[in-house]
Amino acid sequence: MQKIFNLACGSFYALGAYVGVSAVAWYADAGGPPALFVVPLALAGLAAGAVGVVVERGLLRFVYDRDETFQLLLTFAVVLMMEDALRMIWGPSPRSTSGLYLTYGQLQLLGATVPVYNLIVIAASLVIALSIGWLLTRTAFGRIMRAAADNREMAEALGVDMRRVYAKVFTLGTALGTLGGALVIPATAAMSEMGIELIVEAFAVVVIGGLGSMRGAFVGALVVGVLRSIAISVYPELEMLLIYLIVIVVLVLRPRGLFGAAAA
Amino acid sequence: MILRADGLRKLYGEFCALDGVSLTVGPGEFVSIIGPNGAGKSTLINILTGVTRPSAGSVRFKDREVAGIGPVRLARLGMARSFQLVQIFPDLTVLETLQAAVVSRLGRGLRLFTSLARDREVQAGALEVAELFGLAERRHLPARHLPQGDKKLLDVASAFALRPEIILLDEPTSGVSTADKTAIMETLVAASKRIGLRAIIQVEHDMDIVFAYSDRIIALHQGKVLADAAPAAILSDQRVIDTVIGRRAVRG
Amino acid sequence: MRRGLALAAATAAVAAAPLVGGTYHVLLMLPFMAYAVVLLGLNLLFGYTGLVSFGHALFIGIGAYTGAFITSRTTIRSLEVILVSAAVLGALAAVPVAALCVRYVKIYFGMLTLAFGMVFYTFVLKFYRLTGGDEGTPFLRPSLLGLGLDAMPKIDYLTGPYYYYSMAVLGLATLVMWRIVRSPFGLCLKTIRDNPAKAETLGIGVARYRFVAFVISAVYAAVGGALLGPPIGNVDPTLAYWTHSGNLVFMTLLGGFASFFGPVVGAFVFIYLQNWVMSVVPYWRLVFGAILALIVIFAPEGLMGLVTRRRPAPAARA
Repeated sequence: MQKIFNLACGSFYALGAYVGVSAVAWYADAGGPPALFVVPLALAGLAAGAVGVVVERGLLRFVYDRDETFQLLLTFAVVLMMEDALRMIWGPSPRSTSGLYLTYGQLQLLGATVPVYNLIVIAASLVIALSIGWLLTRTAFGRIMRAAADNREMAEALGVDMRRVYAKVFTLGTALGTLGGALVIPATAAMSEMGIELIVEAFAVVVIGGLGSMRGAFVGALVVGVLRSIAISVYPELEMLLIYLIVIVVLVLRPRGLFGAAAA
Repeated sequence: MILRADGLRKLYGEFCALDGVSLTVGPGEFVSIIGPNGAGKSTLINILTGVTRPSAGSVRFKDREVAGIGPVRLARLGMARSFQLVQIFPDLTVLETLQAAVVSRLGRGLRLFTSLARDREVQAGALEVAELFGLAERRHLPARHLPQGDKKLLDVASAFALRPEIILLDEPTSGVSTADKTAIMETLVAASKRIGLRAIIQVEHDMDIVFAYSDRIIALHQGKVLADAAPAAILSDQRVIDTVIGRRAVRG
Repeated sequence: MRRGLALAAATAAVAAAPLVGGTYHVLLMLPFMAYAVVLLGLNLLFGYTGLVSFGHALFIGIGAYTGAFITSRTTIRSLEVILVSAAVLGALAAVPVAALCVRYVKIYFGMLTLAFGMVFYTFVLKFYRLTGGDEGTPFLRPSLLGLGLDAMPKIDYLTGPYYYYSMAVLGLATLVMWRIVRSPFGLCLKTIRDNPAKAETLGIGVARYRFVAFVISAVYAAVGGALLGPPIGNVDPTLAYWTHSGNLVFMTLLGGFASFFGPVVGAFVFIYLQNWVMSVVPYWRLVFGAILALIVIFAPEGLMGLVTRRRPAPAARA
């Protein structure tokens, strides 16, 4: 929406992961029932999104009027800083929530054993996706967001305070990222490289789905996820390679992705 | 016959910007295109200069079909243009801008290892054009530090530096004070004689300028050619006066 | 000319370093010189043509792996052969990448180059039987000008013959790039940077020039990449990771992309600063991230821009 390609969104994801780990550890220490561990996890993830405000107010707003390259470089700066900040706070070794992954048990589904937690995450992401969709289409704020994305000057001329909109949008985006990172924790471990590895996947998702389209992001994520799984089982070496090649093909044949708005 | 357009049509979705426009420009002619806003003048210029493809119709330049071949190839063939919203290279000096045009004209763009500063032909060519347009004194100024009128001149001058056979000027005097307008036009005419320009087409709103310099005037209205004749005939064409020129009498 | 004097002094200082400087600092000069070569090429693309590539580490990787493969899989050790091969392979790899990427601008260009960079990274990482995977491939000591110097202790080799060889390569690279930038070709690049639409109406074919600039920058990156190998002795996939490409852009911005020597200054400051920060605290990325943010916000013209602050425009005439 802000037309910035945010290299740091992977870093926020990582932040969410770490915060999630800490929250769960604290929760376990405080003696909370294991079945509810998802609650502090999710809340912590959301709360970490507050970092978005800091980043947006403190850094990004200085470069909205500049060339896209500079905006990109600024988000790269955030990536660098976050990588080390995470290391500073949580230490260099990976953190995990150990056994909590299987707290909810497993299910037999279509011949495969699926941890219930996975289903919970899938359900949660569907809920989130639908809520965002509702936010964008049914609320006043959503309409303002879409208008601003389409034509910033016009929106400003109509009295929209772009700074506040940008701040809110960025924070929302950040919160989603941190939440995602937190939710993923039980299945994997939190590592300081998470951010920079994720960004290339996220970038693939956005390119395939199309910049600036929510539906596109959803579809793109699905496509990338499915392709990765297929690749891993069929020809493991090709996994990410396949994704990048598809990104290149998409960028060449249809630069705006499957659902994106007309190319800049 | 230098430039010839036949039945040009341009549709933007449902909106018809040009609806069957035909015109010819012969050697030695100074043709002005006039018309109210929205008449299709910019679209016409963009099609003639290869920036836009027509939806239908053809453009022949020096007896070659050139519709949609793009500005680069058209420039090589001998057509140049200037822009309504002045286009310059902000960080290049006046001289460098003109040098670039001369380099392109001489086909030396892919010389990687020769020194530009020591290329006498390029240097002389650029300086000559700078002097023709009265920009020689400011030739080392970065283009973005020039006053608006000089930027316009530079835009036109760089087109002239290509030594084209025909040049299309999109509102060459817009955004310029009345006092400067005549100066620009005089410079233009003098320069065109010096470089052997064979024809000039301009889009222009200032009727005084139009009537003072044109051999022929083409009036556009709602995507169609309303009239295409010498200034005297245009003056007595009531339709043109009503739609384009306005009712106030135009002096001689 | 002040600039000429500064340049002469700098060259003399660099030449004298192995004689007067401590070994540690002299060894740091080696990656600096390699990166300087890379950045001279990158800035042709960035500062002179206006294209920001986030995948140039790809070509560093190509150059480095070329050298590694040649030295460890064949009996050839000649650094001349390695450098020429790196240049050729870099150019060959650049042709399809450039052909594809130059049709796009700004963010799409950045994304495409990033994708290509990561393709190479993944390829090198996953096909470990060929490339040694994340352990990399060894880059054995090359012979210089036909002289096999295997007998020398490593430090003496690196601070002696290899140092001056690198310096010569950097000098040659600088001279060539200087010519390119002052040529008619260089001028055309600048027109494309400033106003591609107008450049086209002047008969300058934008895509073609960008293509040539890209290929040249790739050759420089490959040569620089090959030079990076011997001091480390091993070449691994991280050389091609996207953050490495990001660092290249960072260095260029730091020094100043609007000046010819800016990126070289940037490489120097980056390497020394990184080294110094790491000796104090391991979190150099935090510091550097902050520096990058400050530069982008307050000093986008980089260090050279701060030093040669433009004289204000002639007093108001408009």
